[in-house]
Order: sequence, then structure tokens, then C-alpha cells
Amino acid sequence: MYKLFLTLRYLTRKWIVIFAVLSVWMCVAMVLIVFSVMDGFLDNIKEHSRGLLSDIVVDNASLQGFPYYDEFSKYLMDKSGDEVKVVTPVIYNYGIMREPDTNFTKPVRVVAIKLNDYCRVNTFRDSLYYDKYYPGTTTLGPFEVPLAAIPGGRPVLPPEYEKLFADYVAKHPKDESLKELKPSPFSPDGVGRFVQTFDETPGYADAEALPGIIIGTDVVYTRNADGSYNRRLFRGCKVILTILPLTIKGTIAEDPVSLVMRHVDDSRTRVYEIDSMCVYIDFDLAQKMLSMGPQERVDGTKTPPRTSQLLVQLADGVDIKEARARVQDLWNEFLGTVADRASPEDLNLLRLVTIETWEERQIQFIAAVEKEKVLVTLLFVIISFVAVLLISVIFYMVVLQKTRDIGIIKSLGATRGGVAAIFLMYGAAVGVVGGILGVLTGTVFVHYINQIQDLLAQLHPNLRVWSPDVYTFDRIPNVVKTHVIGAVFLAAVVTSTAGAVVPAIKAALVWPIQSLRYE
Amino acid sequence: MTNVLKAVNIHKSYRMGKVKLSVLRGASLSVAAGELLAVTGSSGCGKSTLLHILGALDPPDNGTVQLNGDDVFSLPVKRRDALRNSEVGFVFQFYHLLPELNVLENVLMPLMVGTSIGAWSSSRRRCREQAREIIERVGLGERLRHRPNELSGGERQRVAIARAMVTRPRLLLADEPTGNLDAKMGREILDLLRSLNEAGQTIVMVTHDPGIAQLADRRVRLADGKVE
Repeated sequence: MYKLFLTLRYLTRKWIVIFAVLSVWMCVAMVLIVFSVMDGFLDNIKEHSRGLLSDIVVDNASLQGFPYYDEFSKYLMDKSGDEVKVVTPVIYNYGIMREPDTNFTKPVRVVAIKLNDYCRVNTFRDSLYYDKYYPGTTTLGPFEVPLAAIPGGRPVLPPEYEKLFADYVAKHPKDESLKELKPSPFSPDGVGRFVQTFDETPGYADAEALPGIIIGTDVVYTRNADGSYNRRLFRGCKVILTILPLTIKGTIAEDPVSLVMRHVDDSRTRVYEIDSMCVYIDFDLAQKMLSMGPQERVDGTKTPPRTSQLLVQLADGVDIKEARARVQDLWNEFLGTVADRASPEDLNLLRLVTIETWEERQIQFIAAVEKEKVLVTLLFVIISFVAVLLISVIFYMVVLQKTRDIGIIKSLGATRGGVAAIFLMYGAAVGVVGGILGVLTGTVFVHYINQIQDLLAQLHPNLRVWSPDVYTFDRIPNVVKTHVIGAVFLAAVVTSTAGAVVPAIKAALVWPIQSLRYE
Repeated sequence: MTNVLKAVNIHKSYRMGKVKLSVLRGASLSVAAGELLAVTGSSGCGKSTLLHILGALDPPDNGTVQLNGDDVFSLPVKRRDALRNSEVGFVFQFYHLLPELNVLENVLMPLMVGTSIGAWSSSRRRCREQAREIIERVGLGERLRHRPNELSGGERQRVAIARAMVTRPRLLLADEPTGNLDAKMGREILDLLRSLNEAGQTIVMVTHDPGIAQLADRRVRLADGKVE
């Protein structure tokens, strides 16, 4: 009984213990904040990097792509039953994008997709800016340019657009992004920038309906400190895309191909590496431009069309890793069926094909962030060891201070184990109290981390550490996971108790009279 | 009369730097039940050392100490601790009260040491009654909630005596119990010890003051490391 009694009494009557509790408190809060932010950052990266892939990715990492993809798609759909939901091809290439109005040029990664299928295998549609507020108006096919009229000094879009936007606002009255809307002479009541007409009524331009191109937001726009973008392109403005077609052997086939297109939307996946490089065009158009479609051979037969990648989306509940193995088996079977008719060049490209899950595909990217998380957390854990050392020193001082008390307690019949237990329980109690305070502080801090940052930024702009014009994510991740709280709390109690071990052993081993004689 | 305590051929030496100082050189002693024994001797002759060894607070280099027939230093450590808790009470010259605890808590401490956390809930009331009773007996019934720093020297020594007596030990060991008190306070403490002895308590008291030793039933003198 005396162990618990003295532990509680020392805890409440010893001022020195406040320093130990403060150390644990600060360390727990610090580790919890750092770990939660890094963990949230990693989750965001994972979530958004998955955004442009599907469950399973089939590709050969070569700019020429691989042939027979259409046959394999059908083969896969037939053989896999309900397991596979969608299979869609994607072509990747590089090109130069030019704005004819300003002559601004930029190297870009061209991603050629079948928009509707692509949006079924991933969350690409969620990344679109105009399509969010005017659903269904984004197309990679011929695009009619909407014109905004200014009948009463404020731009007004065609009625179809106005209705779509009104519907969106009605359905999402609390959408934070609507706050971004700032009516100006260049903006309608809705969202974005549109070409204006001097007519009294809005409508559509008579201009040629050119194929659409979706541009990654960071390819051409700059971000403001509040996270919004300077959208300097008008929806429907002309953009010229130039790409270099390759032969099946990887040599440059002919002159570069340039195509005039219309800017139909912006995509923001929230992964900077994607948003600052990628533009999206129609798959069939790109296949033609890049000479990856069926080409006539000398003997009159046609070459099989090629794609860079096949995205395979599985039905809900299907285990991705197991499905990947089955797709691999089907691919191997399929190769056997085309081996006799494929040309040597085709076979070379087919042999390079790999089948991976999206996580395997992004492993290097995700692993880098995971390592950063581990590294930063480790650094703070090392700093926390200073706290353990401090606790140990404090307990050592407490033991020295209490040496005579230890002698008294022993003279009353306390056992060695009992005396050691007092100091171990004392350490654990410091860990529990400091841990609870640290968990509360850390959790509240992480929960309000963005508000705290906003407050600091109001004091001085340089105090904004997570600036939306630097990071792809607007807000600092602010979720603290229960298992992280549990682990950090447990670590606090264990390390605090560990800090008391040496002083406890010292207290336990001395003979009572040695303690009583201590000066 | 049966012996409560028997010490035979006790040797004890200390190392003071490079010098080995032999304090006890074959001291032997017996204490009968109900006896008040005074151990006298000049300052530094080893009286306190002998008392600490008799109470199992310090091990001898050689020799045996028997308490109620048990060889104290041959017992397992836990048994020895339990013996110290239930059979021996200590009164120190400098009181040695726990400063964080009040009078009642200080006196309760030996009972807490002897009771497990599980058993405490059932024995708490009885223990508190026992502690209050002994505190009343030493005349501090009104000072239960006072901390040691709020008490006079004499009152502190009364608390120390109450703490030593609360487990009703067979043997009370008092090391210069009046050494830190003025004459009036010292007299009060001696009266208290005397009354306890008259009630049957066996007491071994160490003192350098022959006047105080006169109050004892029996006096022995420690000289040259031996009991004369």
C-alpha cells in the first residue's frame, strides 16, 4: 500500500517532478504532431498518386508502347468474368505545348486517354476544375467555346452553363471552394474564365470546334498564397501541341506533328509531379498523331495498334494482389496466342510488358515519402531521448534528495522491491500524466493546425510554413490516428519508467543505515 | 525471563579513506522481555552502530543477532524486512520523519508497509484507529494533520515514538532519543519511554548521558568495541 501512497504523495508534493512531466508532455506532443502531419502527408500522397492509376497497371515503359492491347483487353474481360470492371488504354509521350496568343511554350507529358473510361478506373474526374461546376461540359472531342455576355456589367454564361452551376451551388451550399469565386470583369457568376462576347446574350463561338486538351494546373498557372490559382487561360482558348512520333523500332518516324486544340479544363490531382507536367488529350487522336494506330504494311496487312499502358479496374472487393497474379497468368496465356503472328519488333515490345498493382507501380514515389516520414519521426524520437535523459537525471536527483527517506522507509520494513517500485511507479506516473497532457495538446494542436497557421500568417506572412504556393496540398494534414496516439502514449510511459530504472535500483540496493547516514 | 534479543560476538569496522576503523570488536548483549536497557559509552564508541546492527539496519562483519530466537542476518531478505516491520521499532536521535506526510500518515506508514494494497481496503479503518490511539497516547491527538515542520522537536520525537510503537513491536530501539532536545522536552520523552516500559515494552536505549541511563533497569557500557 505504501508504494502507491508514497508515489502519489511524491508526485503531488515534489516541485521537481513538474520538470519531468513537462519534458514528457512536450516530447509526446512534439512526436504526435510530427508523426501525424507526416502520416497525413503520406496518406495524401498515396491517395492522390493512386488517382491516375487503376488497381492493376499493364505497361512496358517504352515510348513505342506495346501492340495487341485491344485483343488482350477483350481476352481479359472474357476470361476474368466479373472480376474486372473496366480496361482502358493510355498512351504516354512528351511534347511541347504552346499558347499562340502569348507564344508561351512548355515541355509537357502527354497523357492520351479515353476520358469516360479513364474516369471510371480512377478519380481523374474529381481533379477537373470546370467539370466539377459544369458537369458534362468537359470533352476531349470537338469542343464548342462558350461565350460570356455582359448584359448588366457582369458576365453571364449560356443558360445551360448557368443552370449547371446553379444546380451545383444548390447541391453543395457549403463547398469551401466556392469562396474562391471573386466576381470580376473577367469572371462570370460561376467559376473560371470564359471568352466574352459584346452581344447582349451569351452563346457559343462560331469558331472551329477543335479537339479538347485538359491541362495540369501547375503546367501554366501559378498558385497564390491562399491556395487559389491565377487562371490566366480562358476556357476554349487555343493551344498548340507538338509531339514527335516514333516508329516501332524507336526511331523518329517523321516530322513533328502539331495540332491546334482547345483548352477545355484544368486537372489538379494534388500531386505536383503530375500537375506540373501532364496534359490530357484524346486517345484515338494521340494514337493517330503518334503513328501508333494500325499502319498498312507492304504486303497489305495492317500493323496491330499500340498503347503505352492498360489500366485495369477490378470489381469491388476483389483482392488486388491476387487479381494481379491472375492477370499475369492470363497475359502469359495471351502471349502464346499471338506469338506466331507477331513481328519480331512486336514480340520485343510484348516481352517488356510488366503487370503491377498501383502500389507496386508507385513504390519508389511512396517509399521516398515513407522514408522521409520515418527519418523525421526518428529525428524527433532522438530529441525525445534527451527528455528520457532529463527524466533520468531528475529521478536521480529525487533519489538523492530522498535518500534519507529511503532509509526511513526501509527501517520501517520496506523491501528492496518495494522501494524500487516506488520510483518505478513514480516514473510511470510521470509518463502517464505527461503522456495524457501531451496527447491532448498534440491532438488539439494537429486538429487546429491550419487555423494556427492562418493566425500566424496574419501576424506575419513569413510565418506561413505550409504555403499553398509551394506545396501541392492546400492544407496541412490534421488527422491524428487512434493507434498513433496509443503508440506514442505507451512509448511515453515506457520511456519514463525506463528513465527511473537506474535511480530505482540505486535506491533499492543500499542498506537502510547507509541511507540514514546520507548527508 | 526469556531473552527477546541476543547479540553474540559482534564485529564491525568501517573504512575511512585508507584507514580501517574497527568500531565493534566482539560485542555481546542479551535483552530480556520487558527490560529497559541503557547502552552507554563515550561519543564515537560505537553505541549507535551496535543499535543499528541489533535492529538489522546494518549487517555486522561477524557475529550473530537473534531476535526471538531467529538469526536475523541468516534470514532471507524479505523475512528480515518483515521482521523489522513487525518486531522492531526505531526511535532516532533526529526523528527521521517523512516530511511530505502529516503526523497521522507518518504513524500509519509502518502499518502500510506491512499491508498489501489489496488488504488495505479492509484493514484501513482498523489501522487508522490503531494509529490514532497511539498518537493520543503520546499526547498529539490534536496535531494529526500537522506536518513535521509544523511541530517542535519534542513533538517530532513523540511522533517518532508513536510510529515505532504502532505495530506493537516486541523490541523498541531508541538511539539518543533526547539527544536533540532541551532538558524539559528530554524529560517528557524519557517519561514516555518509561511509561511504555512499565506497560511491558522491551526497550534498548543508547545514550551518552549517565543521568538518563540511570532511569534504565539495567545499564551496560560499551568500551573498546566490547560490552562491559
